[in-house]
Amino acid sequence: MTGLILKDILVMRRTIRTYVLFLAFYSLLAVFDIFPLSTVTAVTELIIMMLPLSAFSFDEYAKWDRYAAALPLGRRAVVGARYCFALLMAATATLFCLLLAVLLSIVQGADSLMGSLLSLAFCLGYGLLVADILLPLCYKVGVERARPYMYVVIFVPAILLFGAYQLGLISAETFAALETLPEATLLAGAGLMALLPLLGMGASYWISCRFLEGKEF
Amino acid sequence: MTNSIEIHGLCKSYGDFALDRVDLTLPGGAIMGLIGENGAGKTTTIKCILNLIRRDAGEITLMGHDNRAEERLAKAEIGVVMDECFFHDTLRPRDIDRILAPVYSHWDSALFGSYLDKFRLPEKKFVKEFSRGMKMKLSLAAALAHRPRLLILDEATAGLDPVVRDEILDEFLGFICDEDHAILLSSHITSDLEKVADYITYLHQGRVVLSEAKDVILDSYGRAAGTAGQLARVDPADLVRVRRGSFGWEGLVADRAAFQRKYRDLLVEKTTLEDIMLFIGKGEAQ
Repeated sequence: MTGLILKDILVMRRTIRTYVLFLAFYSLLAVFDIFPLSTVTAVTELIIMMLPLSAFSFDEYAKWDRYAAALPLGRRAVVGARYCFALLMAATATLFCLLLAVLLSIVQGADSLMGSLLSLAFCLGYGLLVADILLPLCYKVGVERARPYMYVVIFVPAILLFGAYQLGLISAETFAALETLPEATLLAGAGLMALLPLLGMGASYWISCRFLEGKEF
Repeated sequence: MTNSIEIHGLCKSYGDFALDRVDLTLPGGAIMGLIGENGAGKTTTIKCILNLIRRDAGEITLMGHDNRAEERLAKAEIGVVMDECFFHDTLRPRDIDRILAPVYSHWDSALFGSYLDKFRLPEKKFVKEFSRGMKMKLSLAAALAHRPRLLILDEATAGLDPVVRDEILDEFLGFICDEDHAILLSSHITSDLEKVADYITYLHQGRVVLSEAKDVILDSYGRAAGTAGQLARVDPADLVRVRRGSFGWEGLVADRAAFQRKYRDLLVEKTTLEDIMLFIGKGEAQ
């Protein structure tokens, strides 16, 4: 399985390098308070969760799946490697954002750390949720046909939130009320938001295995 | 000794096409050429062997291992080269070494490197910069570097120039010097198979119409020819297939010597694998 994880990294090393430069630039802007850290965190998590989907595109172009199925690994290992790659990328992005948050809290004061941690947990959870849904879809219908679903998964929650705000179901006071909650409660809630999609990866992996096992090459 | 490949009663239906009770045995130390027209079932057979598709019926064993129940054991001893290179354009040969080393327990990086040298493949160049011949040689190096006992090649030499093909065929001959090794080689280039194959299996419309030692086929099969009047005197059972033309007819005979003894006035010549394919593919039963 390690060979396949390494394959994803090597195949996309240029893409990863570009993203690293891009994020380093925006992180620098955040350090100098030109750009909000929460945006950098959201973009980092989103980009990182797109990488496994890009890996599907590269594999599809090279027709790698047929070759991988002929290797003495078994199809579950092929799926497992892709999930490990997704988790590895998520862990790297989270660590990067966490370090950045700590750095900024030192530069800008301790108060900013709490907000950064909350937005990081939310973005990580959202990114993992996107992966939970899209990875099985890629195995089922292929990455090109899964792409429209990606936009649905990414944008529908934002549209729903906006709609609820417009309809008066939620308001600025709702968000303000959140700020009155104790820090421990907020952190626990945010942690849960990241943990649930992480646990959901198990179910997502199982579904992906079922799809790949049923596939003919 | 255990056969490298044993297939019994293999069936696979796609609705408009079906593999029908395919039987095939490839002993160790031999090369079997798998021939047939496009859509005859060669690739489907290979996909069934590699368990890339589900078969409807039949049994397949590879080096004594059931290809489904003991899939990993079987595949650990197989090297596969398909009709195209599956390595990503953004990879380099040395990346492929790093990727496949953890995949195969017997992967030999030094051996892979020696194949790269032998095939004159630069290890730091990207796959996208390789020609088709180089890509196929890279696929072959990757297929050989874990010291497999069985090589399965599906149209691996198609589209290559004669020089590269000859280089690859030499490699095949070197590979089967070990009697424990075997090669299943699907190809349209029958001249290549006449050079290296020990056995030929001919698939036609999903069925095995011929599976025999190559020398036996080339020694016994023949091409008879004559006028329309002479054809009327020939027992239909003596002709496998016939092609009629404006100047007479040509027929494929299974036993050249016996045919010549029976019909002394008819001309019977040696035949080639390509002739046999053409007769069976385009000829008609007498």
